Amino acid sequence: MMINTVILSWVTFVYFLSSIFYILKLVTGKQLPGIIATYISLFGIIVQTIALILRWIESYKLGIGHAPLSNLYESLIFFAWVIVLLYLIIEWRIKSRKLGAFIIPFAFIAMAFASFSPNVKSRIQPLIPALQSNWLISHVISSFLGYAAFTIAFGLALMYFLKGDERKRKNGFFSRILPSKDILDELAYQSIVMGFIFLTLGIITGSVWAYSAWGSYWSWDPKETWSLITWLIYATILHSRFVRGWRGKRMAILSMIGFASVLFTYFGVNYLPGLHSYF
Amino acid sequence: MLSKIKNLFISFFSSLKLTIVLLLIIAIVSILGTVIPQGVDVSGKIESDLLNTFKFLQLFDVYHSLWFILLMVLLSLNLIVCSLKKAPAAWKLYSIIPSPDRKKPFENIPLDRILRLQKDKDQVIGIVKNILLKKYKRFRKKDLDEITFLYGEKGAFSHFGIYIIHMSILIIITGAIVGSLMGFEGIMNIPEGESSNIARLVRHNKVKKFDFTIRCDAFSIEYYSNGMPKEYRSSLSFIKDDKVAYQGPLLVNHPITFQDIRFYQASYGKMPGGKAHLNVKKGDENPNQLTAMQNDSFYFKEEDAAITIKRVEKNFMNIGPAVLIAVQTSDADFTFWVIKNLSRLKSQIPGLFEKFPKFDPGSFKPYNFTLNKIEDTYYTGIQLSYDPGVSIVATGSFIIIIGIFVTFFSSHKKIWVRVEGEGEQVKLSVAGTSSKDPVALQREINNILKNIKNELGEA
Repeated sequence: MMINTVILSWVTFVYFLSSIFYILKLVTGKQLPGIIATYISLFGIIVQTIALILRWIESYKLGIGHAPLSNLYESLIFFAWVIVLLYLIIEWRIKSRKLGAFIIPFAFIAMAFASFSPNVKSRIQPLIPALQSNWLISHVISSFLGYAAFTIAFGLALMYFLKGDERKRKNGFFSRILPSKDILDELAYQSIVMGFIFLTLGIITGSVWAYSAWGSYWSWDPKETWSLITWLIYATILHSRFVRGWRGKRMAILSMIGFASVLFTYFGVNYLPGLHSYF
Repeated sequence: MLSKIKNLFISFFSSLKLTIVLLLIIAIVSILGTVIPQGVDVSGKIESDLLNTFKFLQLFDVYHSLWFILLMVLLSLNLIVCSLKKAPAAWKLYSIIPSPDRKKPFENIPLDRILRLQKDKDQVIGIVKNILLKKYKRFRKKDLDEITFLYGEKGAFSHFGIYIIHMSILIIITGAIVGSLMGFEGIMNIPEGESSNIARLVRHNKVKKFDFTIRCDAFSIEYYSNGMPKEYRSSLSFIKDDKVAYQGPLLVNHPITFQDIRFYQASYGKMPGGKAHLNVKKGDENPNQLTAMQNDSFYFKEEDAAITIKRVEKNFMNIGPAVLIAVQTSDADFTFWVIKNLSRLKSQIPGLFEKFPKFDPGSFKPYNFTLNKIEDTYYTGIQLSYDPGVSIVATGSFIIIIGIFVTFFSSHKKIWVRVEGEGEQVKLSVAGTSSKDPVALQREINNILKNIKNELGEA
């Protein structure tokens, strides 16, 4: 095992610890566990960034230098990195640590999957000819910013459902500890907008790349098609909100459907035949 | 009657329900296309009701089926009618500048947006006017009964964002239609050293003949040390009117454009057999070199014989490389093998030629054949496409990004400032509205208040 993968497998535990403290913060309502959780996350993302840079350098030492964005392992690591980054930005902007308990665990799951699944190879592999393109970096970064934003929207939708009915007298446990539904709804909407923008950019950069690699900007490859399906679902969500004013529960359900489509675009497509077989 | 139909048409195609239903149907149909294999040849399969139904519904080519195109047409109509119906309202929002002396925006404004200043009223008005003029192109001022109203706005263009996005989607659909109607996609497999001017088209089962020829001068694969492929390279020559018009390597991710057609390195394969390097020796003369692929024929003039390389085998009966040669003369017709490891075989099996006369490389007298080596030969798989819709689609993609930024990152902000005398003091109130971003508006107003205080030296 190379040093970068060792560090990255430790970062998995850092995010696990951070998840625990965010949950503690949410359950107890105290400030201290939240502050600790934030610092642990910050520590995690800094160490993860260093590990990614080490991996990048390592690949050059092997004579096959490329950005660490080229296979399932590297994409999962980057996915977790983006989730934590976006979450910390949100936390800093809204000045609340209540959301971490439902977002950081996704980063932990992605890291754990990358580090401990026997099906995910952590070796640095050289780039096959199709991946040797300047579009690799911009395509992967915009796609995963989109995936991560949709993941955050999904976490917020989960919270929305657990919150239950605010007007009811008998306030349940979750109803007491979670942020108000208006805030959750607004943040979920903003995450979906971010995700939609980056998904659009991801599709456009992908088709520019396909135009120089596969002979056509669009060839109905399963991954392309599923990214379009995801795009259509989120376009539907935005329209229902913009024009019909759909809020709350309906939005939460739709964003869960959208997230299922994101997951299929990311993982499920590998079980279908197509050109995108490297991720 | 006619207007009734027209109204019905408009109300049907401008409804959001239609949009949502269409988007979801397109999504579901696209899912079908990823589950059912696309573009497969089903002619050889056993006929069944299910197969026939699938064929009838064009489910094996969903994305080019009539009803998928119909869905696209409906979506386009939906976009056009919606946009046309709502555009006048957006134009109004954009062009009408509200009166500076409106009262409503000032109702219930927070106290920190009201300043009471010990200054000259005209000086205050001058400063506010300068600040607003600097930030807002659209500025209005009105004096009414000792009260001065100032108004500025920006971002009115944001009302058009959504129309920009919708227009760009129409542009992209147009480009896709242009491409599918006027463009083509094809495949050419060219063996090393050979030429072709014919491509097999991917759709419609047709071929296309070009007025130029492509010659594959060489094909090579480079590998990483772990065995993964590093580079596929075809050296191509494009020949027109017997002259090489373009020569260069074709690599994955580096297509070649020739006469508006783009050529891509798509695949490769080994030719059956390979290239055999033979030595032909006549009696005691110096041997001649002969290089041949399977099914190549040669004519031996002196003997009036036709020699054909029938088979090129890399490992014939586990004894290594061998070539089967057929000889046809006016009075004989026979075949024999030329085996590379003949001497080894001879030592293993004494009296080889008596037992197996077909293994005698001297069967065709007075010649003696020896096989030096068999080389792999490749063919390069070139994908080609001509798509006049690409620039349209690219334009649409570029505009959609602009549209998204206008829609989501800009908002129509309107700022009202009221300046009035209040005894010895000057009372200044700032109010504002935003089309969608209340946080940014708050920031905007705070900035204006800060600027005013700075200018007045009250910070």
